[in-house]
Amino acid sequence: MSAAQATVAARPRRRSEVSERRLAAYLVSPSLIVIAIVAAYPICYAIWLSLHQYSLIHPGLSRWVGLGNYRDAVTSSEFWSATKITFIFTVISVFLELVIGLGMALLMHAAFRGRAVLRAVVLVPWAVLTVGTAMMWKTIFDADLGFANQVLQALHLPGGHTVWLGQNGYAMAVMIFADVWKTAPFMALLLLAGLQVIPDDVYEAAKVDGATAWQRFTTITLPLLRPAILVALIFRTLDALRIFDLPFVLTQGSNGTTTLSLYAYQQLTQNRLIGPGSALAVLTFVIVMAVSFLYIRLVGGNIRALADET
Amino acid sequence: MNKKLASAGAILACAAIAAGCGSSGGGSTGNTVAGVGSNGKTVTPDMAKNAKGNVTWCIGKDTTGAFSQVVKLYNNQNSGVHVKLLELPTSADQQHSQLTQREQAKSSECDILGMDVIWTAEFAAQGWLRDVTPAINARKSEFIPATLGTAQINGKYWAVPFNTNAGFLYYNTSKVKKAPTTWQEAYQMAKTDGGLGYQGARYEGLTVNFLELLYSNGGKVLSDDGKKAEIDSPQAQQVLSFMQQGLKDGAVPKSNSTWMEEESRNAFQNGKVALLRNWPYVYALAKQAGVKFDLVPLPKFGNGQPASILGGYNLGISTYSKNPGGALSFINFATGPAAQKKFFIKSSLPAVITQTYNDPAVKKAQPFAPELLKAVQQGKPRPVSPVYPQISQAIYNNVYSALSSGTSPKSALSKAQSQINKALNTF
Repeated sequence: MSAAQATVAARPRRRSEVSERRLAAYLVSPSLIVIAIVAAYPICYAIWLSLHQYSLIHPGLSRWVGLGNYRDAVTSSEFWSATKITFIFTVISVFLELVIGLGMALLMHAAFRGRAVLRAVVLVPWAVLTVGTAMMWKTIFDADLGFANQVLQALHLPGGHTVWLGQNGYAMAVMIFADVWKTAPFMALLLLAGLQVIPDDVYEAAKVDGATAWQRFTTITLPLLRPAILVALIFRTLDALRIFDLPFVLTQGSNGTTTLSLYAYQQLTQNRLIGPGSALAVLTFVIVMAVSFLYIRLVGGNIRALADET
Repeated sequence: MNKKLASAGAILACAAIAAGCGSSGGGSTGNTVAGVGSNGKTVTPDMAKNAKGNVTWCIGKDTTGAFSQVVKLYNNQNSGVHVKLLELPTSADQQHSQLTQREQAKSSECDILGMDVIWTAEFAAQGWLRDVTPAINARKSEFIPATLGTAQINGKYWAVPFNTNAGFLYYNTSKVKKAPTTWQEAYQMAKTDGGLGYQGARYEGLTVNFLELLYSNGGKVLSDDGKKAEIDSPQAQQVLSFMQQGLKDGAVPKSNSTWMEEESRNAFQNGKVALLRNWPYVYALAKQAGVKFDLVPLPKFGNGQPASILGGYNLGISTYSKNPGGALSFINFATGPAAQKKFFIKSSLPAVITQTYNDPAVKKAQPFAPELLKAVQQGKPRPVSPVYPQISQAIYNNVYSALSSGTSPKSALSKAQSQINKALNTF
């Protein structure tokens, strides 16, 4: 093919490419506008609000404080306590969900009668609204009339008079318990999808080579499941970092359960401290972004490594 | 490269949007440092006389139908004013945010604002309420004086009391033979006769329960000029140690620290506690449950005067209302004898005017009416301040930590003191 021929052939293609690109831009623009209105604008507005103080004493007065609200937040013990509580909750609950979810996924993956029923039943807790879940566990862990204490008392086990939601540590334990109960099935579902793409012949080959069940699990299942695990971890971690409904219903944040989102809500909605409250919301957003960024780097690296191996 | 461009674009877009709302949302234009009482919009009784036109009444959900009945009664009078009821959500927090959003937007949709008594100061400070002092003064003798205290700031009235509420001490007559007259006596009885319950969870209810003992012991939250905290006092320490001791002795069960109104009512009905501090709504429910009980207005602390914290709602007239005269005309009706009787009987919303309590029909429907009148008369408002939510948080957070984590009363109160002072300095 000569150069002249190439330019002749290329010219109409380039023209159509440009017009196609323009068309694409036109087609995408309504969505972009919608995203700008519903996502970008509120985020930017929250940042703007967080740089101001709005008076509660003087009608309609506000003043620019720059990063003052952020300085107040990061120098307050409440913020750090809420951050600590949020991370403790996230690490423990996501870890338990992963372990339990993986167990459930392996069980659901095994071929047996009634597998379809099990898969449906397991998802029920996840389908219940979190607020509903929280109300349920609040009733179950009621110190006087709750199911938990009644059972402990009936079985003559210690702890039948524990005020579950009225003590540090216990309140957090109930919160983690309720979260794990609700979201382990979701984790299981994501991992099950990962399990199903692992080809059977790999296992068969391992069996022929004499690998034990445990060896097959650690050398085949876990490495091949890694991308699915990381995706599931991202979903759950980001959700857990934003936890609001469970502490709101269970304890209103008492006894060491005031998470970042709940603290921001109290400042914004109850105290109407719009500037400081927005600053807290932005800080929560930054923390969640930072964690998801770390994860994405981790997953990205992993997928690439995986692609290189094969 | 593309990524960088995109993020630069995002930053630019953000800046543009932020700048855009700077002109509208920021709004720090006027330099008037005006406190409560600046808008100069006063509602006089005359304005209601020849009022015409439409009025919208915004208040929490009409769960019993009494609000719409009273609106209908009013509209049937054909006074020339037509009232429409706009129901807000059931939750007080939601009502608050719905009302504040409308007022911030300078909306004229709500002429009459149904406010929890603790919001009145905030709304007045924001300039959202019209001064109704002349309208109140024209009818002052009708109201129970204590209820007016919740609507008064800087010597002026910013709302008209609509309904009120006060705590009672309920006691199980099969366990407790005679009503205690002091809190000390009540706790003593509780220790031997089966426990006392109150609203001890970490929320607004705990502030109320603490203040009832504190006020009765002669303590205060704010100085008289409202400019600084005075909660770190020997009186408050005495009350907090007393409450702490009650939990230690077993006079108050440990699970009390998780109780709000309903949990404590259940505990009383199930026999978990023999004495209970709660609101009048418990009366009908405990009767239905077959509990043998009686009730008295709250006892006193030691040698002090008994004090109950007042609940209830006030009606304010929005600054942005286009028909303040019509609004006042309806408010006068809704806080008048016929309507107040209806609310009290049909919705158990205690009346703010004295005469309703002596009405035979009211006494028949709400047999505790005479006791309630006494309780409301000895009632005290919570600190009237635009930053009340923060003040209350400082109280319930620190009282809770003294009661449940064993923080010493001295350090809990000094922490509350500094947090309240900080709140009072809120810009």
